[in-house]
Amino acid sequence: MKNVAILGSGCSKCKVLEQRLQDLKAAHALDISVVKVTDLEQIISHGVMMTPGLVIDGQLKSVGTVPKDSQLLEWLKE
Amino acid sequence: MKEWMKFALLAVAFAIFYFAPIDAPIVLASISAGLSLLHEYARLHVLTCLVPAFFIAGTIAVYVKKEAVLQLLGPTTKKYIAYPIASVSGGILAVCSCTILPLFTGIYKRGAGIGPAVAFLFTGPAINITAILLTGSVLGWDFAISRLIAAMVISVVAGLFMAFLFKEHDRNNANGAFATGLGSDVEYSNTLILLFFLLQLAILVLFGLSIDPLFKAILIIAIIAVLLGIVFFKFQKEHNLAWLNETWDLTKKILPYLFVGVFVAGIIEVVVPQEVVTSLVGQNSLLANVIASTFGAFMYFATLTEVPIIQKLMGLGMGRGPALTLFLTGNALSLPSMIVLFKVMGKKQAPAYILTIMVLSVFAGWLFGEVI
Repeated sequence: MKNVAILGSGCSKCKVLEQRLQDLKAAHALDISVVKVTDLEQIISHGVMMTPGLVIDGQLKSVGTVPKDSQLLEWLKE
Repeated sequence: MKEWMKFALLAVAFAIFYFAPIDAPIVLASISAGLSLLHEYARLHVLTCLVPAFFIAGTIAVYVKKEAVLQLLGPTTKKYIAYPIASVSGGILAVCSCTILPLFTGIYKRGAGIGPAVAFLFTGPAINITAILLTGSVLGWDFAISRLIAAMVISVVAGLFMAFLFKEHDRNNANGAFATGLGSDVEYSNTLILLFFLLQLAILVLFGLSIDPLFKAILIIAIIAVLLGIVFFKFQKEHNLAWLNETWDLTKKILPYLFVGVFVAGIIEVVVPQEVVTSLVGQNSLLANVIASTFGAFMYFATLTEVPIIQKLMGLGMGRGPALTLFLTGNALSLPSMIVLFKVMGKKQAPAYILTIMVLSVFAGWLFGEVI
């Protein structure tokens, strides 16, 4: 079970990233829980300023972009 | 939106339709003025200015290496580098207003500190590239350039002043994590990206030139051909898609509000009596600039809508000085943004920032009205 957090206050890329993750989860039957973090203080506490930030099991994976599906899958299956 | 709000909105709309004197000449004149200004914008500005501007903003969003810029706003950066970078980075980093607040909070709490953060916060909305381009297209390039320069200068002065007022703020910034981004994914040469950017800008500039239409058309088509060549043969598909996506995203976010704003601006021309405008902000007096500054600080303008509204206010006799003042405070401050500022900056710094911006804008507008 992996804990995935999307850091973002509601920009369009954040929504795209969330949708991608949900799609991947459904398509590959991944054992993950996806939460959205919208609180600015919490987002900044990860050092993220360019949203969306992607945190998997407490580790910051990407900032400011929507990673490719293949890259996302790789991280989620690690 | 909550259910009761939907109901309230519908009830208000119904009441307006029920009671409004639809046949009254002023109502008919307002609607017709609104529509005719929309017609003017559709004819003169949408294709020749806004569409290229959206593509340019999309290019900035995808291809500018934001990490490199952000790195220069970190806690250890020398102040004489951080301030100028902060004052221009608003136009590069924050293509959309929803990205300004996280960036500001990051610079403010973990990065270069309160001064550069304030400079960034002010120029973020003020030197947005689409706004400058539309200002130039509608009101003239002397106005657009003055708006740009005034915003940059004010941001640095305001930042320095805030840093001086709140010296104790930056003490604990130096040790916080300041992650800016993990690896840039753009793998093209800077020259190519710059060329791509400049060619798009060239299209916009060409549209504005008064040269032989045939020659103009040939040049524009040639540039578009080169751009398509870059897109198909140099750039990868995923980046092209991202570019189109960003452009479309901005268009969706801005254009509907702009159309509403243009319509409202058209109505202003009919409803607001000319004497009121000329007596309040007709002269380039200090008082006129204070009025413009205060109005701009509280009034909320959706991105770009300040342009048609100020255009029409100038048509009613608003002086050039107060107009520039209104440009400066109009975008940077509004009642909703003030509330957010109080939350992020606190009870002392937020009013200090707001007052500083208002005073500096008055001065800049007044100077512009006197000199140019």
